[in-house]
Amino acid sequence: MISRTQRILFWAIVWFSIVILSVPTLIVVGASLTAGNIISFPPEGLSLKWYGEIAMARDLRGAFGRSIIVSLICLAVSVPVGTLAGLALTRFRLRFTNAIQVYLLLPFTIPLIGSGIGMMLVFGSWRILGNVWPVGVALAAINIPFIIWSVSSSAASLDGDLELAAANCGAGRVETFLHVTLPGVMPGVITGGLLMFVLAMTEFLVSLLLTDARTVTLPVQIYNNIRSIITPDLAAVSSVFVVIALFAVWLLDRLVGLEIFLKSK
Amino acid sequence: MKQGAPAETSREKSEIKRPVAVRARDLTMDFGDGAPAVDRASFDLETGRFLTILGPSGSGKTTLLRMIAGFQKPTSGEITVNGHAVDATPPHRRSVGMVFQRLALFPHMTAAENVAFPLKMRRYDPRSVPGRVRDFLDLVKLGDYGERRINELSGGQQQRVAIARALVFEPELLLLDEPLAALDRKLREEMQLEFRRIQHELGVTTINVTHDQREALVVSDDIIVMDGGRIQQHARPVELYRMPENTFVAGFLGVSTFVAGTAFPGGLKSGDLHLSGTHAGEIAEGTPVRGAIRAEQIRIVAAPDSLATCDTAFPSRILDVIFEGERLLYVAESDRLPGVAFQVYHHDTEAFDLYEIGAQVTIGWNARDMKIFKSTA
Repeated sequence: MISRTQRILFWAIVWFSIVILSVPTLIVVGASLTAGNIISFPPEGLSLKWYGEIAMARDLRGAFGRSIIVSLICLAVSVPVGTLAGLALTRFRLRFTNAIQVYLLLPFTIPLIGSGIGMMLVFGSWRILGNVWPVGVALAAINIPFIIWSVSSSAASLDGDLELAAANCGAGRVETFLHVTLPGVMPGVITGGLLMFVLAMTEFLVSLLLTDARTVTLPVQIYNNIRSIITPDLAAVSSVFVVIALFAVWLLDRLVGLEIFLKSK
Repeated sequence: MKQGAPAETSREKSEIKRPVAVRARDLTMDFGDGAPAVDRASFDLETGRFLTILGPSGSGKTTLLRMIAGFQKPTSGEITVNGHAVDATPPHRRSVGMVFQRLALFPHMTAAENVAFPLKMRRYDPRSVPGRVRDFLDLVKLGDYGERRINELSGGQQQRVAIARALVFEPELLLLDEPLAALDRKLREEMQLEFRRIQHELGVTTINVTHDQREALVVSDDIIVMDGGRIQQHARPVELYRMPENTFVAGFLGVSTFVAGTAFPGGLKSGDLHLSGTHAGEIAEGTPVRGAIRAEQIRIVAAPDSLATCDTAFPSRILDVIFEGERLLYVAESDRLPGVAFQVYHHDTEAFDLYEIGAQVTIGWNARDMKIFKSTA
């Protein structure tokens, strides 16, 4: 039984966490609604004029478009690679499974600044720096463990006999993969994919090192703007990010159910 | 008494032989970690028969089944199905339907889609698929549940979907890998009879794997008892129960009491006691043997006179009384056979609860009911 004090303590912690986690977001969203010309909270009067402002700003719009492209490239690379790697690590008894697992998790152990500089040097020597697509590939590489985890945990919860059952039904290896294995891990693929998309949309450090004035992505563009003058349009852009993230969560809930996402590591 | 051929055997022999559907010859599976999982298993299974491979866990029964399904390649030996060697055939090209232990239904498909899957994969005419799926859902009495998702069905209904999926393409052979093990007793017994009904209705040759001796006796035409990777005995259920060929089979089916001793014409000698029994094969006098007597073959009475018709009778004392519902299990020991606890089933339509712990009784049996085997140790 939970005693009264425990219950009060429990709810106190819950509410403290909720407030701490949501206050920055609320302040940013609030500040973006200001009618004044300087960023402040509480806002001076309510208006959507800064949203109109960012919609018209060419640099922000360009950066937003490039961020979308980068995120889609990141998806195009990470979903097939992450899905196959996640499946291989859980469904097959491979030699060196542990070594491969460690190797795939390496991006987590290297500080982002390190991998960023490394990729900058490599991409520079390949003369591909200055394009948008290498940024997407780089973000896929540093975040790949997320989708591998998500697919692995989905695959681990599948019955090990499913593929044998498919073979027993007359399905060859390719048919088994397409009709049974892939649909079985689809929740993990969707979860991992959305996560990769959101992470790529918001990634800053590596993007900063790999972009220049022509290929700047949205988070980097915001940073550039902060360095000159801080105006409420940055709060508006941040609010757009929040909406994108909320949309991703909503989509996740609709497609696979949030409880599956929360259960996956 | 030695050569007493029971009636069952002669009746079985007069039956007409049917063509052999599955023939296994010296099948061996050696994973290279000690004793082989399956050691030179050979058997024939006639078309349309229901064979159960019965054994404790680790006896190699599931490995044997998986070799027949094609999931595991035998180290040596040969399997033929309807006269064709199948060793080189991958599992998806074999005409074998299988019901898996955890069913392995496809969770993202409805019941009907699960049943339609083998037809799709085996390139059936798409126009014939819906009708065939409906027929097989009807066969397993799930006609109205086709559109349900797997997780919306009860355990018993999922079983039925798995059966329909395994049978819908009319395989030459149906394999059951302990699919009933996870069900509660009532549902399990219902599904056993259901398997039996469907198997009779379609006449499909079936191999079932289980560790449940009751299930094996209830559903099977033939039973193979396995232990330690080897086939211990292959017989009809009645024959297997009445005429076990070795102590493992005698102990695995039913409840038996074992008595160690030396062979003696017409029984065995243990201490100064002569116990009547039937020798399994030729056993020279004086050979170390073990006798096995089933709990339901021992008679138990208060007065020695009423066991005058028994070949063996001696006084004993009740050690324990266990109430099992439809009968009582008495545990009795004789002063002349210390250390041997005889297990005796007792069922009396007139009276119940006759003896208490410590009561003096007489137990006895007929020579044909105690089976005597050479000691393996």
